[in-house]
Amino acid sequence: MNGSRRLQQSAYHLGLWLVAIIFFLPIFWVVLNAFKSRRDILAVPPQLAFTPTLDNFRDLFARETFAPYMTASVTMSVAAVLIAIAVAFLASYSFSRFKPRGTDFLMFLLLSVRMVPAAAVVIPIYMMYNLVGWREDWLGMTLFYAMFSIPFSVWILKGFIDGVSERYDETALVNGGSRFHVVFKVILPQVKPGLVASFIFNLIFVWNDFLFSFMLGGRTTSMIPVLLSTGLYADGGVDWPFISALTGIYVLPPVIVVFLFQRFLLVGMTFGTVRGEV
Amino acid sequence: MAELEVRKIRKEFGSLVAVRDASLRFDSARVTCLLGPSGCGKTTLMRMIAGLETPTSGDVLFDGKPVTSLSPSARDIGMVFQYPVVYQGLTARQNIMLPLRSLRTLSAADRSRRVDDALAILDLRDVADTDVGRLTHALKQKVAVARAIARQPHIILMDEPVTNIDATTKSQLKYALRRLTRELHQTIVYVTHDQTEAMTLADEILLMNEGEIVQRGSPREVYNHPAHRFGGWFLGNPGMNFVSHRVEKRAGELTLGRPLFARDTHLHGLDGETDVIVGVRPESLAIAGTASENSVPARIKHAAIVTGGQQLLALEVDGRTVKAKVPAGSSYRIGEDVHVTCDPDDVTLFDTDGGKLEVIFRPKADDA
Repeated sequence: MNGSRRLQQSAYHLGLWLVAIIFFLPIFWVVLNAFKSRRDILAVPPQLAFTPTLDNFRDLFARETFAPYMTASVTMSVAAVLIAIAVAFLASYSFSRFKPRGTDFLMFLLLSVRMVPAAAVVIPIYMMYNLVGWREDWLGMTLFYAMFSIPFSVWILKGFIDGVSERYDETALVNGGSRFHVVFKVILPQVKPGLVASFIFNLIFVWNDFLFSFMLGGRTTSMIPVLLSTGLYADGGVDWPFISALTGIYVLPPVIVVFLFQRFLLVGMTFGTVRGEV
Repeated sequence: MAELEVRKIRKEFGSLVAVRDASLRFDSARVTCLLGPSGCGKTTLMRMIAGLETPTSGDVLFDGKPVTSLSPSARDIGMVFQYPVVYQGLTARQNIMLPLRSLRTLSAADRSRRVDDALAILDLRDVADTDVGRLTHALKQKVAVARAIARQPHIILMDEPVTNIDATTKSQLKYALRRLTRELHQTIVYVTHDQTEAMTLADEILLMNEGEIVQRGSPREVYNHPAHRFGGWFLGNPGMNFVSHRVEKRAGELTLGRPLFARDTHLHGLDGETDVIVGVRPESLAIAGTASENSVPARIKHAAIVTGGQQLLALEVDGRTVKAKVPAGSSYRIGEDVHVTCDPDDVTLFDTDGGKLEVIFRPKADDA
């Protein structure tokens, strides 16, 4: 590689780093604030040198609202996404293999759920949930999030299953395997990256949902984003120590998951469609 | 081991008829090759035998019992596809073992013995515990074959198993399959579009074209005595020469003469004067630099070396072009004048629709 080419490469990388840092800065700032005292947080000009403290976290854990909200966040988002993936995997297998009449239109209809702005559907859904009495209900909320997660998962997984040749199914079938065996023993292991990708994408969506949680969830079934908004003001001002500590804790799980599985995530973003026909 | 039969089996895809009312009996413990060009219906026929396609009409019978309504898994067959289908993340041994798990009657010892046998017969022992993802295409395909035979199914179906293998390992795999089929004494149906593969492996060839069985017979029989012009064209590399002739009555005898025959050749078996097509294999034409009493003059228009070192010539004989294959070592040049001899014994006569005409040749000289 010659000098000018290397320079170009370095400039390119520098640019990438700058953009990444600019996008990461607010998160970094909030997390940093979690370790500052109230006075340090509000200091003008902002202080980079400060004495770290864990007081904010101690205060947060002491609040009686934290545990139920956090529990709701974790259990509902994980359960909803698992249900969604189980349903979506079977649905996308059917779409991919049995190709029911109007598959393309059905696939479009599915995704259209995600095309409508959330604000437009929150009122109808509120009324429906009110009618069947599923508001403030753990299972009701979980099923709602599952419903919202299914379309995207079907899209991702269908791409992956399309990428697995039907010859695999047929080999298993003629060699004495049942359809159950085909689906779970032959296809499932080969679309693991797709399963992980749709798990992460949907987990992030459900994890960060505020609107539906706020409108449909009650005290026991609302998630952390609702707590963030309701606990925003205290003592006549924004309760920055609380906001910072809670945000710091709340971003941790998705960050860890994404970091661990980013390899799968990249494959997932291509919808599995770049795999060769086998 | 089982006898396989199809009765008036037919498959339509919309307006396309893939298989046209084929009735066949596949002998047990023999290798039958379904041979034909792409789209001739051979794979569809096999998939109906496997149960992967439902016939539009007709029946599939194993040992005389209809299996048409049975699912593929209930038919007790083994199948190998064109692309090596192996379970990623498992070793070769685990791949072969996997389908055996569903055979509940088999003891664990029997299962591993069967796996070992399959590994041995396909020469896979060295890679038995290697992850299949790290094997070459050809080895993966061997694993797929081993998996199909380890179950000892009634019938083994192979759908172009060596087509996607690169040329160098292709012959190896072909040889392994040949050895395997000789040792197994299984009912094997083998689909291919490659005639050399069919010639190597088959006990019997079923030549297919446009959804119909054109001819069945031993490889030699099908090659030497094509029942239809199609067989003459499809088999051989290159295929038969076809030259239009007119059978005329001369001196009270039906006679075939020029352009291919120097002397009038009498033939029996036809009703009267008619147009025929003379089929002759390129390797059956004898080329010489000097004229003989049976030869006709020709000029070389093209010459090329083909695999095996033979020379492939395009000759102009009386305004028509015929191909001739001459032994390795000959060096004819373009533009050279030569003499071609066509022995009536090497000739197959077809009617203008392509069907074979049963005729007996007798050269005029013998009449006297």
